[in-house]
Amino acid sequence: MYQPPSLLEKWSQENNELVNKCKQEAAGGAVSRDHRQSSLRWCSSEFHKLLRKIQGIPPHVDHSQLELAVVYNTCVCFTAQSQFSEAELLLKEATERVLQVTGNNADTSDPLVLWRAGLKSAGNTALHPHVLYLLCLQWALWLAKCQLENIGELQMSSLCEIVCDGVGDCSPSEAKGRLSKSPLLVMEPKRLTELLQICTSIAQGAEKLNEGRSSEALSDLQAASALPATRALVAYTHLLSGSCLAHMNRPQMALQCYKRALETDSRCVCALYRSMLIYRQLGNTQAEIQALRLLHSTLMLPPATEPVLGGIQPLSPSLLLSSQSLSRLLSVPSALSVLYSLALKCVLSGRVTEGVEHYLDLLAALHSEDQHAVRVDAEVSVLPRMPELYLEAGTALLFTWRPADCMAFCNEVISTTLELVPEKVVLEEPEEGIGGDARGLSVEGEDKVAMLLWAAAAYLVQGHCHAHLKDWKQAVTHYTRCINLLVKVHLKNRDFQPQIPAADVNVKHGKDLCTLQRMKGLSLAWRGISFTQMDQLREALRDLQLSLQAFPDYTGAGLWCGEVLWRLGRKHEAAACWEKTWSLTTQTSVEKLPLYLQDPQSGPLLDSVELRFRIQELVPPV
Amino acid sequence: MEGRCAVETWAQFGFSGRSYKVKILCGFGTDVLICTGTEEIYVFSKRERKITTVLLLPAAVNDLVGNQDKQLIYVACRSGVYRVNLQFLLHRDQSSQADASSSPAELKISQECLVVGADEVSSLLLVGSVLLTLCQRDASWLLTLYKTPKQTASTSHKEFGSFHLPVASAVDCGAAESNRGPRKGSVLICIHSGDVEASSSSNASAESTVAQDHFHLEPLLFKLLFGVEAALAKSPVILCGLPDGRLCFLPLRLPGSRLRVLHSLEQPVCFVGASVVTETGHAQCLVAAGEQGRVALIKTDKAGSEGGSAVAAFTEGCVPGPVWCGCMDKSCFYYSTGADLLRLDLSEGSFARESKERGEETSGTTAAALQSPSSLNVCRVIALAEPACSTAAGDVQLLGVSARGQLQRICLPAGRVDEGSSKLSSTQVSRSVRDLLSAIGDVCERASVLKTVIKSKNQFLRLLNHAVSVSFLLMADTTTDLPIKEKPIRCHFETSWSRLLQKDSLSLVCFLHNSSPFVLERGWTLSITVSPLSYSSSPAGESSSTNFSFPFHDLRPGQTFEASLPIAAAGDASFPMTVSCSLIFSLSSLLGEEEVAASFAGLQSSCISLPLSTLTVDWLHALQLNSPTATHKMATVQPSSAAADSIQTFLSSRQLRCGGRTNRGGESAAKPEPEKYSASVWVSSEIVRDTLKPKKSSNLDAKESIRDPEDLCLSLLERLLSEDTEGVKMGCQGDKIALSTSVAHARGPNGAAMKLTVKEINVGEEESTDKEATIEVQIESSSLAAVCGLHHAVLRRIQTLLQSATEKAASTKNVQILGLRRALQRAEIQQSQISGAFGEVVSTVQRDRLLLSVYQELRRNPLLIV
Repeated sequence: MYQPPSLLEKWSQENNELVNKCKQEAAGGAVSRDHRQSSLRWCSSEFHKLLRKIQGIPPHVDHSQLELAVVYNTCVCFTAQSQFSEAELLLKEATERVLQVTGNNADTSDPLVLWRAGLKSAGNTALHPHVLYLLCLQWALWLAKCQLENIGELQMSSLCEIVCDGVGDCSPSEAKGRLSKSPLLVMEPKRLTELLQICTSIAQGAEKLNEGRSSEALSDLQAASALPATRALVAYTHLLSGSCLAHMNRPQMALQCYKRALETDSRCVCALYRSMLIYRQLGNTQAEIQALRLLHSTLMLPPATEPVLGGIQPLSPSLLLSSQSLSRLLSVPSALSVLYSLALKCVLSGRVTEGVEHYLDLLAALHSEDQHAVRVDAEVSVLPRMPELYLEAGTALLFTWRPADCMAFCNEVISTTLELVPEKVVLEEPEEGIGGDARGLSVEGEDKVAMLLWAAAAYLVQGHCHAHLKDWKQAVTHYTRCINLLVKVHLKNRDFQPQIPAADVNVKHGKDLCTLQRMKGLSLAWRGISFTQMDQLREALRDLQLSLQAFPDYTGAGLWCGEVLWRLGRKHEAAACWEKTWSLTTQTSVEKLPLYLQDPQSGPLLDSVELRFRIQELVPPV
Repeated sequence: MEGRCAVETWAQFGFSGRSYKVKILCGFGTDVLICTGTEEIYVFSKRERKITTVLLLPAAVNDLVGNQDKQLIYVACRSGVYRVNLQFLLHRDQSSQADASSSPAELKISQECLVVGADEVSSLLLVGSVLLTLCQRDASWLLTLYKTPKQTASTSHKEFGSFHLPVASAVDCGAAESNRGPRKGSVLICIHSGDVEASSSSNASAESTVAQDHFHLEPLLFKLLFGVEAALAKSPVILCGLPDGRLCFLPLRLPGSRLRVLHSLEQPVCFVGASVVTETGHAQCLVAAGEQGRVALIKTDKAGSEGGSAVAAFTEGCVPGPVWCGCMDKSCFYYSTGADLLRLDLSEGSFARESKERGEETSGTTAAALQSPSSLNVCRVIALAEPACSTAAGDVQLLGVSARGQLQRICLPAGRVDEGSSKLSSTQVSRSVRDLLSAIGDVCERASVLKTVIKSKNQFLRLLNHAVSVSFLLMADTTTDLPIKEKPIRCHFETSWSRLLQKDSLSLVCFLHNSSPFVLERGWTLSITVSPLSYSSSPAGESSSTNFSFPFHDLRPGQTFEASLPIAAAGDASFPMTVSCSLIFSLSSLLGEEEVAASFAGLQSSCISLPLSTLTVDWLHALQLNSPTATHKMATVQPSSAAADSIQTFLSSRQLRCGGRTNRGGESAAKPEPEKYSASVWVSSEIVRDTLKPKKSSNLDAKESIRDPEDLCLSLLERLLSEDTEGVKMGCQGDKIALSTSVAHARGPNGAAMKLTVKEINVGEEESTDKEATIEVQIESSSLAAVCGLHHAVLRRIQTLLQSATEKAASTKNVQILGLRRALQRAEIQQSQISGAFGEVVSTVQRDRLLLSVYQELRRNPLLIV
């Protein structure tokens, strides 16, 4: 079959023009994402048109080279637009046509077999490099679709070497001559293979890490970090190495890796986040706070347009690195939840003033016009619900001796929730599996129990405020309100023992119950303490004893109960009570409790040493 | 009636058909923006009451929102969202208005204004600095958030978040939608918690003016619906109604919030709003309306079912009719079904709730409120909005766009009935009955007016038809030249003398006989013109003709119309005279109404004139015969006038007698006493006999009697006096004149006595044997005019007699050569006399006399008519 050479020339000219146009668009800079997308769309449709023209005639050796080049260009454009299936179909057709040209027959649909046959048939002909290029694209597609096993089977890394060598082999003059003749390509195959190589390493590393083969992954990743690639990708290799080390319980080395990642790419927030987690794990609070602060300020920076990652290449690494295990490793909580962690950490570690500032920043951010409901990854988000945030902020304010501000916060919560608190609420034993998530989906948005607990907690904190101001009468009023709310909760499950809510029961039997019991204990105890201050010792004793019943672990209640007994002249009972309290060594971990349910560090304190002294004084008569 | 609402059309813009995307946007000072689903947005100025500007966008507009502070509008087109700086535009507009162009300025919005390049955005919402777009992508609804730049100059709108909601799998929605053509719009509104507004009052003033899609909900209801967290975060909540009937909400500023479904109406949501505003400015009721009339009212139910805590009560009901569009004011929901604008008073339900206590009844009354929307009697409204500046005194003003593309202001009556619901309904019923009755009355009145108009038109046409038929009939007459007796509409006349106030007067009685099949109705007029046949043009140059017209009223076929016209009093008439009569059809009289005739002055002269006939009334017609019986009779009847009459008779007879004497004497010229003039006509008795014969052909005896020359003369005279020539007949006054002799004495119309003698003479040479039997009609009178007139009349009669006679006359004998010769001789003499009279220079008196004598000669010696 005779084909006029002019047609071939025309087609290759058309291809070259299109490639030049594409490159110009890309070089013109990132005008806007939309614009780039539309130009890409245009390019791919033009390439596709051209390809259909070329493929309109039976395959022929003379223009196979051009055809394969156009297939390459079209597929790059399709892949860049995430049209993977279209690209794959084109590749398959192209391979089949190559087989036809070389006189082989392929009656298989298995891509692996097809590719092997194609490579073999191309052999050492002029088509060989072009078939290889197409194979690279197939590699990219597999990578994008996370079909890593295919990549392994075809031993792509060796392919990479061939491609790179193939170009390198030619002497400059020879290369030039070939270039002038051969049709232009949208993306240089060498660049593509480089990109593919490091991306494959990263993806495989993440996969192995996920499967727990940390050491295996580590060596691969460390090898990959030497590959030529953009900073961001190299930083990823360091980051993943760090994660491997962290998995292998080598936190210091992990920290080193994270540091290297940050040095390579300063925008690698994930490395910061991971190091923060390591510090937290190590218990290095100061470093953790420091890391959180850095992380927050980095997150608050305006997101850069990603020139480093995107480059001028049509295929971006983000397209190729879409595996789930990797994205999980790379995920970073939102700025707000980082800020919350920072604030909470500060308050808990005693840097209350700083913590309060962070709390206020957080609330201001939540109320600002700029804050909008951006979807957050539920796994990473540690942000508590709004009323809890208010209560925590209020408690932090109380810690910094700002009871008036604290009361304002509590009032806010009360005014919001109190109207919705039911007369009676039944607390069921939560069944396994259905946690707070199901509750969160309820149409009315809030659970009645949660509403009640929030309101009660607000009253409790307000009571603390009044106690702090030594306004005992008001304190009693607010504690009473809290108690009145709490008694509306009815426990449904009979065989459940609410009397022994231990720390480990916490997780098992639901946060609500624990919170309820602790709040009961606290409010009763503190009403008792208030009564003590007002010299209403009988009421005080009753409340303190009730408190101990509800929440036996609370040492404050035990001590004060003894004090009241002492004052009432029941000194032996008092001594016994004190002794018992001191014997309770099981301290509930403070950090797991919400801030507002912690024992207020203000108010009248009892000195244990003095108490022991009193006991000693008491003993001799006995 | 106080229940009526006033509709005032403000503007009309080219727009037709119903579109789902009509939207009115108020709150730009005095400007109102209207988009109609086309590429155009109209800017209507309330101050100037006209459309000042038309914004022309590149594609059809789906939605329109505005930012009042910055005077910006965002327009969702098919191709994307455009931002238009209204202030800038209007400024330019004002400056261009200096050019005094009354037509609205047209401004093209260029592609530069494109800020968001998303296709098919169906709804827009602006919350603070956030622009929200809602559009459908494949299988999900996509709510996208864009940050609007602080500086109006920059155009970068950064997308910073989007929310998906899968499209409901209900097949019927999608299928029905695609069938119906235009995809229905979605509704996007923003709900603020009430206490937020209270806390930030500075913000509130700005926001409340843009309240068209922003509502402030009572805090409790807000919390119940959208959660405590949204309330604590002071987050506005986006509420969107979708065409699949779902009502979804999204707390805008809450981290990690999701687009969740609040309710489903199960029919396309076409309106969402909040109403029942309390004193604090918080709406107590959230209203969602579906396209087919399902309405959901969401309120707080304080007496909740469990444990007394408040719950949100969802009340669903159906209101009549499809809901095309709706709007809210402080207590009511207004919606248009296309056929009517309805008001749903939502506060009524809560009002009734106060009195009743049970929760069940609450929903019952609310549902009842849904059942009884009150009609406002405004139809074809396709878009509604409440203008921001409602007037005081509780008046409610709505802005509406009608299906015909009119911008209307609808003023609702202020007075709301505050009685109980039952009483209210009865008054409502009576009011609507009254409304209906008056409407029926109006329609009836209009119908009757139309009916009469049609009737009169029909009448008019019928008359015209008649007129045309009649005129064709008459025109056919003139062409076929029927004898007058056979004409379908013919008229004839009779002359009659009457005596009134001692004065005789001649009147002409006209008889019009209608034998055509048509009724001569109103509009037809008989017009008779009487003019002297030979009139000497008077010095004034005016014609002495007289016009008479007689309008017909209803001359049915077969009837005869009779009219008498006074022609002349005795003595002052110039006979013979021509009477021409015609039928006139006048258009103006047909129209009947004076004002019409007055307003169309040109019509008055426009009429059709159809000539009927033209007749001549001559001396014979006007003769007053003197008969002894008549005189006698008159004398007996009227004694007072008898003396004068008899004197006159005496005088005239004396005159005649002496006249006759002098005539016999033959000397006439030089007599001082009144001359006796005479003229005569000779007719061959043969011809006379022949012509008179057919008249009496009925009996053979008559023919015999006619042989008698005496009889012949008598009958000729009779014929001359009473013959009906050309439809004119001498009226018989009293009894028929019995002519005993062949001599008739009469008085002419000028009062001159005259004698008409008919006798048989023999004319011819004395020596000749073949004497021709000849009848001579001799006219004698002392008045020359009378002789002339009568002579003329007699000649005419005989002429007609001879015309009616057949060609039998041709068989007559040889021409009397002798007579001719004599006549020639006479003619020669007369010729010489006349030329002599002119040739000699004598006095004019002499000449006149000479001429007169020649004339007399001519008259006296006539040629024999054979």
